[in-house]
Amino acid sequence: MSATGTSLDVTRELLAICGEGNVSEEEAGAHRVIQGSWRTIPVVKPGSAEEVAAILQFANSHGLGIVPEGGLTTRGFRKSECIVLQTSRLTALEHYDHADLTVGVGAGTTVAQLNTMVGADQLLFGCDPPLSERATVGGVLATASHGPLRHGYGALRDYCIGIRFVTGDGRRAKGGGRVVKNVAGYDLMKLLIGSNGTLAVITSASFKLFPAPRQTRTFLAEFTTVQEALEFRDRVMRSPLSPMCLEIVSPGARKLIRPEMASNAWVICVRGAGSDAVLARYRKELGSAVARELENEDERRLWRAVENYPAAPDRADEVSWIMFASMQPRIQINVPPSDVIHVVETLNEVASYGHVGVGFIGRIGVGHVLAVAEPVHVEIPWPPGVVIDALHEKLGANVSVRVEASTNPWPTPLANRDSMRAVKRALDPNDVLHGREIF
Amino acid sequence: MRIPAIVDQLRRIAGRDAVLDRPEDLMMYEYDAGVRKRTPAAVVFPQSTEHVSQIMRLASSAGFPVVARGAGTGLSGGAISPEGGVVLAFARMNRILEVDVENYRAVVQPGVVNQILSDNVAHLGLYFAPDPSSQKACTIGGNVAENSGGPHTLMHGVTVNHVTGVTVVLPSGDVVRFGGKEAESSGYDLTGFFVGSEGTIGVVTEITVKLLRRPERVATLLGIFETIDDGARTVSAITAAGITPAALEMLDGWTLRAVEAACHAGYPLDAGAVLLIELEGLAEQVEEQAEAVREVCVQQKAREVRRAKDETERALLWKGRKNAFAALGRLAPSYYSQDGVVPRTRIPAVLQFIEGIAKKYGLRIGNIFHAGDGNLHPLILFDPRDPAQLELVQRAGRDILEYCVSVGGSITGEHGVGLEKRDLMPLLFTDEDLDVMLSLRNAFNAAGVLNPGKLFPATRVCAETRGPSQNPVLQAEGM
Repeated sequence: MSATGTSLDVTRELLAICGEGNVSEEEAGAHRVIQGSWRTIPVVKPGSAEEVAAILQFANSHGLGIVPEGGLTTRGFRKSECIVLQTSRLTALEHYDHADLTVGVGAGTTVAQLNTMVGADQLLFGCDPPLSERATVGGVLATASHGPLRHGYGALRDYCIGIRFVTGDGRRAKGGGRVVKNVAGYDLMKLLIGSNGTLAVITSASFKLFPAPRQTRTFLAEFTTVQEALEFRDRVMRSPLSPMCLEIVSPGARKLIRPEMASNAWVICVRGAGSDAVLARYRKELGSAVARELENEDERRLWRAVENYPAAPDRADEVSWIMFASMQPRIQINVPPSDVIHVVETLNEVASYGHVGVGFIGRIGVGHVLAVAEPVHVEIPWPPGVVIDALHEKLGANVSVRVEASTNPWPTPLANRDSMRAVKRALDPNDVLHGREIF
Repeated sequence: MRIPAIVDQLRRIAGRDAVLDRPEDLMMYEYDAGVRKRTPAAVVFPQSTEHVSQIMRLASSAGFPVVARGAGTGLSGGAISPEGGVVLAFARMNRILEVDVENYRAVVQPGVVNQILSDNVAHLGLYFAPDPSSQKACTIGGNVAENSGGPHTLMHGVTVNHVTGVTVVLPSGDVVRFGGKEAESSGYDLTGFFVGSEGTIGVVTEITVKLLRRPERVATLLGIFETIDDGARTVSAITAAGITPAALEMLDGWTLRAVEAACHAGYPLDAGAVLLIELEGLAEQVEEQAEAVREVCVQQKAREVRRAKDETERALLWKGRKNAFAALGRLAPSYYSQDGVVPRTRIPAVLQFIEGIAKKYGLRIGNIFHAGDGNLHPLILFDPRDPAQLELVQRAGRDILEYCVSVGGSITGEHGVGLEKRDLMPLLFTDEDLDVMLSLRNAFNAAGVLNPGKLFPATRVCAETRGPSQNPVLQAEGM
């Protein structure tokens, strides 16, 4: 195809870099596209970091934009006038030492593939994002995704030990390495994790792995009010227990998590790992608040549903993907744990107006809430906006909000925008990675 | 601006008694715990973020370099002043500003001593996890600059895993705030990027840290081995058994005899190596793990596995470990310590390599290190009065770090690059890697006012300044 107003044949140039079969022109299709003058969008699948660098250098020299794309599980979108760079061929295994508990994989590797590989050695990758069969390592890093394991294993920033990438201006570089402890050079893992593809294209990364638990159990405690639920959370946090997961499920989210249970209760799910003696101790510490215990298949289904929320539980097929892609964007809310109550009050207040229904889950031990706003009756152009505005009004600068499927993932004012801009200029001076509009 | 004029201006900003410029006073600030020295032109003790901001504005306009300093316990020369530089010493910004028990956070000034924070929150059942061996003296500001570790970072992570927010003064004097009390903030993770930037991006004046709850039970075991090889193999056997101890430290036989003579920690004098293994958490879990660790040690030919009976015995075992560097001071006038890292499965091989290096150069090298995360600390004894010895020691250190990199490791696990290892950065990083890092430094500190001559190889920074410069800051970059 030709870029408007020039004689440049973008597709031919990309073919010269990546070879036959690795460049296509796609209609917008089911993807969200910010419309522009291109009728179709070139999609390129580089097979190596060198090819990624060549594509970015080409884009820089011709003033073109690039949008990196993984499994689209955080509802990324395409933008006209931007080449889509898919990481699906960047799947090389760079290193894996199971006795050292470290692994390095290409950015296009899916989280499920990684888990299958390390699971065979009784190891665990600490990140359990939504739709792990589609979610790629590069994608979860770029969007700082997490699932319920976030409570017990930390965030990607805690166990990503090395990152290799191509900067917006086409320089191939890395940060960190392959060992679990390393302070040589700037911590570029931290800078790129959660940068939403605006600074560099991640090509591969290394991680610290964890021993997989040999036995787990999930304890469900039910409460009639959120205050009681949060008091229970505080009790768990003060106890000597170290659960793998500590998750709240709101009454509004519950029908998607456990459809067979229709009560209006707030549920706290505590997942413990260990021997019979350790699990007995969980029972003792959690006491009579626990309404039921889940194990084996029941337990697995619950956590799959929490991971995939708001998608229907335990469906990773194409139908559920299409349903997922058409759902309302998820709103990730982070506050100090003691402010979770204010977030919940705000979400309840928004729901009480009757324009949107709000369901949420969340890693409340670390102050995280994941909300979804569904329009009710009336036409609301962008339901997340109602929630975000209310949070900003009530909590001001004390709340951090991230939203999917938006040109700006951080819709509330950023205190450090100038420093962010300085970083952006250092790595992507020509704003080639402009799929997101932050500045 | 000449030095006396700068000193006058600094006094106007921070107070008459807050600036040192007499040679006998400056001598106290010419070194850290490494082997390099350089006398600064002046030392200033700011008492507020506003002071730091004014000083940075002055430095940028007058063109003198500034280096921030905590307690000077660093081992990589990070706090050594460049020629004509001003040391920004944080001894007077040492207040704990807030302890937020509900959210497990504390907000501290950079001069707060690491151990003092833990002591102050102990009555709440809380503590600050990063625990460098120098924790009784080192400051949290210094920990942030160097992304410091310590024995218990095996389970809990290094400093960056425990910092959620920082207030930073940039070289321009602008005050910025990255992160906060929440675990994840909007925008780029500039907090994570800032921690470990070795004072080359900005000066931290306020830090929000995580506090952890003290574990219900702690078990401290001492695995005693006939040979260093048996001890080394046990390290990866423990990891492979799916056990993550809170700490897993190793001392070779030669080092533990020196430590025992100085500290009387109860270490066996005739062993080839010992492993100090600490487990923490739920009582039931700790007891099971202690048994599992004991079994692994025995399988790997441990002669004996002892367990500290009480807190006194535990403290004694740790006293030996934490004072080991000092204990070796009894054997030689000085030591040179490296902190290369190898994958844990390579520990037996690297220890054999170090033994070979000791023979090759005729040096005495002790090994006392964070074995659980493969972070070595070969201690090379020498006499700094003999320049030939220093050169030999540095060559031996370089050989060891080259080996670490060759097996997939790193040149530094927790001490930082600083002045000491800046010219070894190309072992790990390509020109393009370093170019990207330098462009990030220049995004905040283009003139090199803050901590010039650190972290980046001298040749690279010289090339970056594009020819000879009359700017004293840029001249200082080459050090």
